[in-house]
Amino acid sequence: MISNDTSLMAHLLRRAGFGASRDELEEYLEMGYDGAVEALLNPSDPGNMPDDLIRRYHVEQSELRDLAGSAAYWMYRMISTTSPMEEKIALFWHSLFATGYAKLNQARSLLNQVDMFRRSGLENFEDLLLELSKDPAMILWLDNNENHGSAVNENYGRELLELFSMGIGNYTEDDVKECARAFTGWTLGNAEYMSIRAAKDSIWPYGRIAWHFEYRNEDHDDGEKTFLGETGRFNGEDIIAIIVKQESTARFLATRLFEFFAADEVTEGGEKVIHEMMATYFSSGYQIRDMLRTMFHSGYFKSEAARFARVKAPAEMVVGAIRMAGNYQNPALGIEKVSNTMLYMGQGLLQPPSVEGWHEGLEWINSGALLERVNFAAKELSDVKSPGVRSIIDRLEASSGDGVLVPSDLADRCLDLLGPIQVSDETRSVLVDYASRQGDLDLTGHQLGDEAEQRVGNMLRLVAATKEYQLA
Amino acid sequence: MSTQTQSPSIALDYVKTIGIVNNGLNGRGFANPYDTAVDGDGRIFVLNRCDPARASAIRVGICSLEEEYLGEFGRGNGAGAGQFVWVVAMALASKDRLFITDEYNHRVTVYETSGDYLSHWGVAGSGDGELSGPAGIAIDSSGDVIVVDQHNARIQKFTEDGKFIAAWGSFGSGEGQFNLPWGVAVDGDDNIYVADWRNDRIQKFSNDGEFLASYGESGYGNGQLQRPTGVAVDSEGFIYVADWGNERVQVLGSDGGFQLLLRGEATISKWAEDYFASNPEEKAERDLSNLKPDLPSHLNTPYHVSSQTEPYFWGPVSVTLDQVGRLYVTETNRHRIQVFQKR
Repeated sequence: MISNDTSLMAHLLRRAGFGASRDELEEYLEMGYDGAVEALLNPSDPGNMPDDLIRRYHVEQSELRDLAGSAAYWMYRMISTTSPMEEKIALFWHSLFATGYAKLNQARSLLNQVDMFRRSGLENFEDLLLELSKDPAMILWLDNNENHGSAVNENYGRELLELFSMGIGNYTEDDVKECARAFTGWTLGNAEYMSIRAAKDSIWPYGRIAWHFEYRNEDHDDGEKTFLGETGRFNGEDIIAIIVKQESTARFLATRLFEFFAADEVTEGGEKVIHEMMATYFSSGYQIRDMLRTMFHSGYFKSEAARFARVKAPAEMVVGAIRMAGNYQNPALGIEKVSNTMLYMGQGLLQPPSVEGWHEGLEWINSGALLERVNFAAKELSDVKSPGVRSIIDRLEASSGDGVLVPSDLADRCLDLLGPIQVSDETRSVLVDYASRQGDLDLTGHQLGDEAEQRVGNMLRLVAATKEYQLA
Repeated sequence: MSTQTQSPSIALDYVKTIGIVNNGLNGRGFANPYDTAVDGDGRIFVLNRCDPARASAIRVGICSLEEEYLGEFGRGNGAGAGQFVWVVAMALASKDRLFITDEYNHRVTVYETSGDYLSHWGVAGSGDGELSGPAGIAIDSSGDVIVVDQHNARIQKFTEDGKFIAAWGSFGSGEGQFNLPWGVAVDGDDNIYVADWRNDRIQKFSNDGEFLASYGESGYGNGQLQRPTGVAVDSEGFIYVADWGNERVQVLGSDGGFQLLLRGEATISKWAEDYFASNPEEKAERDLSNLKPDLPSHLNTPYHVSSQTEPYFWGPVSVTLDQVGRLYVTETNRHRIQVFQKR
């Protein structure tokens, strides 16, 4: 019998992390739910694969000239971190403040942006918007390097209001213009040269040159501006200070966090949580961590209604399966193929489809993507040589007492150890029928890759192919 | 430009930069070079590690100091005869032969400098003569081959046709122990110097493996090291270290005392000039740019500084000396070699 504590903790770790092996789950259970929420929300040393090792064996991840190696570099980080919330919040902002390689041709700076999301993504929203506005990848992505005191480019100013904070309908076209004026002169170092290199995808003569922020006072429009009813000689910092005071900003942020971490669809119960998160936003002084704490402690989040209420994003699916299988713990050939697989599932890291990011939820699933997802997870989880799968086999043997599992136990225990995953009666029946074809499973004295172990691998493969495995 | 001690007994002058990124599968330029060797005729052999997208073209390129591209050889990616997967280092031996390590195939491959494949030797394992991730390689005055057996945390000595002679070392941080060692060099007295990569030090041994000295410690200061990858020793005993994690090169005296450091000062190579001649608008903006910018504090690590500062070393993975006192610094991430001359 799976305890509610275990199911709830697994639910939390699917949302604030990438799911959990049973060993990880037991470590978090020892902390209790409140302790686990705090541990996840306050990332410490992530203990991820060290950069020196990655750079030594993967020249492409040292130089980061091309997209494939750069995405793989982030994959390693997600696979090996012991502070998964740090990566999940970076993924959240990467989708919300979507910035893509295709226009920039500069992965180091994109990864610097991801580092910024790790560093500031759980902190004060005002500070985060300020860092975002100074982020050179974002500046070039939305043309703020073309936003001059003498010739305004509204692109960044518009998206800051529409896609990154308040949402459309909460400001006027005049506000957009005044916002853009305030960010004139916010550019990157050597902007003209870097802009040419980006446009030409120039790697010449000696590879990429990464970017940094530069403020050009002589290019800034220091005149009086009126923005959302307030008037002054506003610079970018002043505009952000006004944006974060708006209720529409609180609603926007709370809703997007809820949809990413709690449920794809906002029900009446979800709406109540969003209101609580908005209240926390103001009472805490715009602290993102506090908003998430409110959400994770809400009755709705803990309830059955929130369980398996999201479709796993490809990053969650792929990283979760690899972590469960215990693979790629050291630099290895082929990691870039894994990040390419994610692209075929519809989520290429560092290449969101547009400034609007990915369309999540059920839109992740189409027939091609579903096939990729099932094939990938089934392959990862059915390989009995993988350390995580070996651990599952050992636990199955230990839990059986005499080493023998009846078919229904085999199905139930595999569902438990891969989650626990809750499945429909119909799904469970299919799994038990499959297990029954070969009768009881005797794991006594099992050897690497023998028939008994292969039966476990086959059952794990079948669980990975269920509809329920695709849900978080 | 070099930073020197108050009275260094060595000086190095910057000479030139050779190289340009090669984004394709052949031709002039380099693709993530990992090592360089220079023969008695001044021919420069460059070992291109290549990224996964260009793995089918793992090769040795040949050029001159004047940047004449003389050719290249290799048989592509794989475990077949003459093929490579993860090349690390190479050493020139007598009879115009190049010994090349492959840390993925766990073997040493021998080519003639003419490009003809000769043989390979070494099998995966941890027994005498077996290899696990061979990295640095050097030839001593007897013609014996010294191989850094990385994952076995030891040094092995072989005859030139791969017969086992001796081995020493174990995993650890004590004297004579190693943690993922990388480069190796032999001095004029046949002593052996090992870049003990993850112990942030250079260890010196006699030719038969007796521990003699250890130089360097973890850190960012003069004489301190971060993940040294390559080492070379000149006829006066000066020790040149590719201080990879600090994105710089340091020169130590024969007693290990700090002498000077190089940060890199790359200029436009001949091949780069050709590129800019065809792309004048890019050159015009480049000429107006500051390629040594001041950076915000969160980007002030050696790696980040080098990623933003094109003249500086970025991924300085090996140091090579020729017979007339030139130093060649191979930069993986910038696909080029900076050349210095000892005064």
